[in-house]
This record gives sequence, C-alpha cells and structure tokens, in this order.
Amino acid sequence: MKNRPLFGVYGMSYRLNRGFQGVGRKLILDSISFEIARGEVIALLGPNGSGKSTLMKLGAGVLPFRSLSCTGQVRYLGQDFLSVSAEYRARNVVYVASDVRSEFLLTAQEVVFLGRTSARRGWMQGTSQSDAEAVRRAMDRCSCWDLRDRNLSYLSGGERQLVALACALAQGAKVLFLDEIMSQMDIHHQATIGRLLKDLAKEGFAILLVSHDLNLASEWADSIIFLKEGKKIFHGPVLMAFQQETMDLLYPHSNLKVGLNPLTGAPKVFFGQDT
Amino acid sequence: MVRTKATSAYLFGISIWILSFLFALKVGIVKDANLELITAVRLPRAILASALGVGLAVSGAALQALFSNPLCEPYTLGISSGSALGAVLGASLGLQWNLAGLTGTSFLGAILFAAILYGVSLRRGSGNGTLLLTGVMLGFFGNSLVATWIALSDSNGLQGALVWLFGDLSRARLKSSILTFVGVWVFVFFIWTHRRALDALLLGEEGASSLGVDVAYIRQRIVLLTSLLIGVCVSAGGIIGFVGLVVPHFCRRFVGPLHGVLIPLCAIWGAVLLTLADLMSRILIQPYELPVGVVTALMGAPIFLWLILRRGEIS
Repeated sequence: MKNRPLFGVYGMSYRLNRGFQGVGRKLILDSISFEIARGEVIALLGPNGSGKSTLMKLGAGVLPFRSLSCTGQVRYLGQDFLSVSAEYRARNVVYVASDVRSEFLLTAQEVVFLGRTSARRGWMQGTSQSDAEAVRRAMDRCSCWDLRDRNLSYLSGGERQLVALACALAQGAKVLFLDEIMSQMDIHHQATIGRLLKDLAKEGFAILLVSHDLNLASEWADSIIFLKEGKKIFHGPVLMAFQQETMDLLYPHSNLKVGLNPLTGAPKVFFGQDT
Repeated sequence: MVRTKATSAYLFGISIWILSFLFALKVGIVKDANLELITAVRLPRAILASALGVGLAVSGAALQALFSNPLCEPYTLGISSGSALGAVLGASLGLQWNLAGLTGTSFLGAILFAAILYGVSLRRGSGNGTLLLTGVMLGFFGNSLVATWIALSDSNGLQGALVWLFGDLSRARLKSSILTFVGVWVFVFFIWTHRRALDALLLGEEGASSLGVDVAYIRQRIVLLTSLLIGVCVSAGGIIGFVGLVVPHFCRRFVGPLHGVLIPLCAIWGAVLLTLADLMSRILIQPYELPVGVVTALMGAPIFLWLILRRGEIS
C-alpha cells in the first residue's frame, strides 16, 4: 500500500492585494498542490521570487493563511490544518528560516530551548528534564552542542543555521520545512546536515527543503518540485527533474547543462561553455 | 550558573529596595519627623514610587520583547500622551476628580489611546510594525494637542499640569497608593503568565510563529495589559521617563533576556530605581522639590551611557 501522505497542500492560491486599481496585484501562488509522506525528502526549487518561501510559510502556518487572502486547503494526517491551535501546529510542522537572529543576547542553548515553547506543560511549570534531554539530543545531532554557551549574535552564519535546525528538532515536529538552511554552511557541515536529513527521513520525518543550490538538492532529495512564477511546473523523481528543457525553461539564458555525478549518479547542473 | 546569578540579583535587589524604602521613610525636609508625618506623607509616597517603578519597568521589558526592539519603552506607544492630554485638559477645565488615587481625566485619556491601539492590534493583517507606528503617531498627536492647549491657556492652573508632565508623586495618599501597588502587581503577574510567548518573540514575529506562538493573540494581550498598566502608572504619578527603558537593559545584563526570570527582576529593580529617585528629588535641592522624572533621567542617563560604553553594546 502506498504510504499515506503525512502533510498535503491542495489548490493553494495567494494573490497579493496591494497596489493601485489592480496594478501591482500579483498572483504569488497559483493553485499549488503537493503531498509529502513519512520518509520523503522533497526539494522545492525555482528561481528567485517564484513563491517557494511563501508556499512553505503558508503551509506551516507561519504566515496567517486566513487573514491573507489565500484559498485552498492544508491537511495534516488528513485533517484540516488551518484551524488548529498554534501550539499543535508547531508540535507537528515546523518552518526553519534561513537565518535566525535576535536583537537580544541569547546563547545557542537558550535558542534551542525556545524550541520547547510549544511543548505541553502546566502554565506555572518551568523547563523540565525531558526538555533538557530533547535540547541536548537535538544539539548533538546537529553537531552544535559545543556552541551551547556562545551568544547567537557572535556565531557565524553557518553555525547559526545549525542552531536553527537544532531548535526545530527540539520542537519535536515530524514535518520539517527547511528554507535555505544550508546556504551559509561550509562543505563539511553541508555534508553532515545532508546525511542527517537522510537519517531523519529514515526515522519517519517528512522533509521539504528549499535551496538555490540545485546540485546540493539533487544529492539529498528523493523528488523535486519546480516552481516558476507561482506555478508548479514539475513534480517528480530527481532523475527526471533535471532535464535540459526544464533547466532552459526555469533559468532561461543561463546556459546551464545537465550531467551526472560520476560517483553517485545524481544529476548535476553545470555552467555551459560561453559561445 | 544563571540560576545562582539570578538568585543573587533578586536578593540584592530586594535588600536594596528595603533599604531605600526605609531611607525614604527616614529622610526628608523635616528632621525628626513624627509617626504621623511618616504615615501620612512619606509612606504613601514610597509605596507609590515602588509601584510605578514596578509597572514602568515591567511594561518596558514586555514591549521591548513584543517589538523585538531594545529601544522601546512604555511611552513609545503614546499612552502617556493620551494621559497627559487628559491631565492638562482636566487641570485647565477645573475637573479635579479622583479615581482611587488616579487623576481621573488623565486615566480617561490613557484609556482612550489604549482603546485605539487595541483596535489597531485587532485589525486583521496588521503586524507589529503597524502597531508601533500607530503608537508613535498617537504620541506625536497627543503631545501636539497638549502643546496647543498650553499655548492657548493662561498660566493659572497650568502650573500643576506642567509639574505633572515631569512626574509628580507628591499627591500620594496611603489608601490609594496601596491600591495602585496591588493593582500594578496584578498586571505584572498577568504579563508574566505570557513569559514563554515573550521569550519566543525574542526571535522576531516569524520566529515566534514557527515556535508555536499565536503572535496576533499575544500582541493583543500584551498591548491591552501594558497599555492599561502604563495608563495606571502615568495617571498616578505623571510622566516618569527612563525607568522603563533602562531597568530591563540593566536586568538583562545579569540574568539574560528570558522573561520568567527577567520580569520579576525588572519589577524589583524598577521599584529600587524609582524609590531612590524620589528620595533624591525630595532632598537634593531642599526646601524645593525636583520633578522625579528629571531625577531619573539625570541619574540614569550617565549610568546607562557608562554601561554601554564600557561593554560596547546594549542589552
């Protein structure tokens, strides 16, 4: 039997209703649908401004779906996900932004503890032993336990991204929406986190990731969704996604060529020779 | 380590508070004051100073977290201007009614401005930025009306209002001070119950939202609670600047920015600062009195600058 989808978006449209007399009105998302099952890693790819982050934020409930003129449905385990409480939402689906920052001096460990905000507890109760364990485990997995006493503002971009992912893992959600979370990591951390994502998928997490690095996405994802100008133009397995025609359609005039990684067989995109 | 630091900051703060409270009872223009003078004049004043210190410091901390902006203070939202407008209008129209120790017209002004802000926070799709700008605009608007009114009025009756604009605790009465003190702590408690959401807001609106905080709801609650709290404080003692800005920063240096610990500590040190400032305002230029708001700024600004310049950053 096919794996029942854990999370799904059905016919989501979002029109920006700003601007004078209809000028400047823009369809940000045009009836997008997709489903994601346990153990699946989907990469959401597309040029700048194609609606990737908006789709993720609306799906995860970080942007208020109801008060922005959106239409469509979001379902978690087959149930309506738009009317659930914020805590329930955060315990099950989490959106990780490409950068985590604060105007105030928080240590890395304090940030990861914030991931336990939505955990069930009495209103007088402080953080518990199980919170501390979840934080420790999450930081270990993201190899940032050594950073725990450093201030978030003093960490490098890549280190902050490790902390942000640890925060999301501490939250305990099984659906992860990762928005460019490897963009500032060095190649060692990219490899570590890439493997971590594969491990998480094996444990039953469902992962949707946005990346501008197509070659990174083709390495770690099982399937690909291509967005362009708010429309889904492709959804399928990695090998079928990286076709010459698709690349020319998505990134015209960029002279991109598709080839295979000689070691893993994953499709890669290369800059073609200037003619 | 944070826990022992927090405990010592609490204990130290409480002892200083008790000490300054006793000093405030003991020291004054009249030497060898009798018990009657102390209970009728100095005790209510010390209680009121503590209460306003608590209220202003805690509302400052909450607003700084809500707007992820370390430069926010209780008066950023413009509630004080509404209150000032009410006070000035009341004073020049000769309306001298008292609401449990609060200047009635001033409290009405604060409530009116708070209602406008709350209305804006209820509006769909308006974020923290909109709310902050609304507050700042309300402040400008209220201040300009106050200035207009003062420019058009004769000087009689305005002296009181002007003193009030710089903070004035001299009208404190025992019963109403105790009432204000208790009321302020009730508000502080309700703000403290939102401590986890405020912590999450340290990562910004979007961050808090993905951590599972209903940002729109929290915004409404915090705006409602802080603007009422500020309204109470301002109508009881006039506009006392600086406490709400500096005390949270000062406290974060010791216990970090998490609100479960920070809010009670702000309450304690706010009380300390304002009790001491009021004491200074009474004894610095005897037999006259300085407005307490002037003292907080004169004392606080150099200390704050020194703190910033020594470590090179705020909070």
